[in-house]
This record gives sequence, C-alpha cells and structure tokens, in this order.
Amino acid sequence: MFKELDPILHSQLRLAVVSLLIGVKEAEFTFIREKTNATAGNLSVQVQKLKEAGYIEVTKQFKDNYPQTTCKITPKGIEAFEAYVQALQQYLQVGKE
Amino acid sequence: MADDKKMTEQESLDLITNMIQKAKGSYHETGIGSLLWGTVVTIASVVTYFQRTYDFYIGFDIWLLVLGAIIPQIIISIQEKKSNKVKKYEDDALNAIWLVFGITIFGLNAYQMIVPDVTDKFIQLEGWQLTKHYLDNTKHDEPINTFTPSIYSLFILIYALPTLVTGMVKKFKPMLYGALITYGLFIWSCFTITEYDFLLGGAAALICWFIPGVILRRKYLAQQQANV
Repeated sequence: MFKELDPILHSQLRLAVVSLLIGVKEAEFTFIREKTNATAGNLSVQVQKLKEAGYIEVTKQFKDNYPQTTCKITPKGIEAFEAYVQALQQYLQVGKE
Repeated sequence: MADDKKMTEQESLDLITNMIQKAKGSYHETGIGSLLWGTVVTIASVVTYFQRTYDFYIGFDIWLLVLGAIIPQIIISIQEKKSNKVKKYEDDALNAIWLVFGITIFGLNAYQMIVPDVTDKFIQLEGWQLTKHYLDNTKHDEPINTFTPSIYSLFILIYALPTLVTGMVKKFKPMLYGALITYGLFIWSCFTITEYDFLLGGAAALICWFIPGVILRRKYLAQQQANV
C-alpha cells in the first residue's frame, strides 16, 4: 500500500522551502527567496501555508530598522519531510522494479 | 520557481537534493577572524623567539598584541552575525568551542604568570630556595625563581583543539590538516628548548589559522563576486 504524498509538501516551492530549512537552524526570508528564485509575493503565500500546517515557524522582527522575517522548520515539519521522502522512495522503488 | 507545477517523484527528489546542496554551500565565513589570529599569534611567537634567542627587548610585551586583537574580533563577530542570512546547526556549538578555547588560553596565561610567583612565596615560607647548580663546577651556584618549563608546548597543543573540531565539523580540510600538523609540532616542541617552542608555535598559528584564513577569504570574495 502506497503512502499518499503529503499535498502540503508536494508542491515545488513549498518543497524547496522545506528542503532548504531541513539543513539549517534558521534562514531569513531573503535567503530563501534568493535560493528558490521565487517572487516575494508567491513565496510569502507558500510560507504562510507551511506555517498554517505547523511545518515551519515564522518570526518577524526589526534588524537595523528593517523588517526581518526568519523561518525555521518545526519538529512536525521534520516528521512530515521524512515521511514525504520515505513515500517518494517507495514510489521510485516500484518504478525501478 | 512556480508553485503549481506538477512534479514527478524523481523531480521531487532532485529538487530536495538541489536545495540541500544550495543550503550547504550557502555561505562561507569571511576568513577575517582566522587571518587576524593567525597573524597576531604568528608575529607574537616569532618576535618572542628572536627576543629570547638574540637577547633583546622590543620595549613592550608583544603578547599585548594578541590581547588587543580581542576588540577587533568582537567587532568582526557582531558584523558577521548581522550579515549572515542563515544560521546552521553547528554554528552555536563551534562558537562555544572557540569561546572555551579563548578562556583556556587566558587561563593558561594566568597560570603562567601567577604560579611561579606563588610557588616562590611558598618555597620561601618553607625556608629553602631553588638553585642553579653547574655540574662541572665552572660557575658558582645561582638562586633562581620558579618557572613553568616549556609551557608554550601546551599552548601549541591547545591551538590544535578548536581547529581540529572546526575542520571536522565543517569538513574544511585546510583546518583539519593544519590541526594534525600542529599535533606533530606539539610533539616536536616537547623535545626542543623553549626558544624553539615559540618558533614552532608561530608555525602552528600560521598553519592552523592564517593559511585557512587566506583560503576562506578567497572563497568568500569569490562568492561575493558571484552574487553581484
């Protein structure tokens, strides 16, 4: 029985964001935008969806009088990412057989 | 990057790999900290070697240069923290190791300055003294003060510690090899007179920090240029 791919993660930009955050403690919004080549508007929407799912934490603060948004993956996000990768591996394994 | 694009399983996996690689290679340290410490410790060590070997004094304690380097290091750390857009898991642990290293070096310096005087006082209270006695009786016995023999070997040993940890955690070979060579220099210094220990210590600072600092700086500048 195949596990269904998590619809929150099975989207290009959201998966890119979570994949970036999985390897770091926290990252600024500008860093994520730079690495994903996404527009600020689109990225904001997807970050919000990940936040609502409880997969990432978003902190907004001021740094040198400029607003700064920092994103951090949550334990729930890590769990979901691991499950997503496992499910992917299952699909790919079957494809090889 | 569009959000609504349908991905195959293979594309998903490729995207994950690509993003993890991007995060890994996302930033290089500026290398200024390594260059700073590599420079001041090498200069202080080599000047001490020459002072002791050729018996002269430059007019001030050259190790004050090392103490003074703490101020620019604090400024560098604050600026780097501000400019880093991403924080990695190992950053806090490595910062803690370098802080403990600094405290240990400071403690060892204090030990070197305090213990001989205190020991002399205890010896005087017990009513005896340390004396230099020439075995061939060509010179008269001379009273001497307590000293910590060849303590710079311990400094060399400690120089290798945070460097090795950083090299291993960051998988940064120049620091890894630098630390391993420094362990060799420590062993060598155990068999040499104190003057040479300073020369070996200077070499250790050059290998552990200055050379990796130059490499880090080049990588950082190359990355900065790529981002322009």
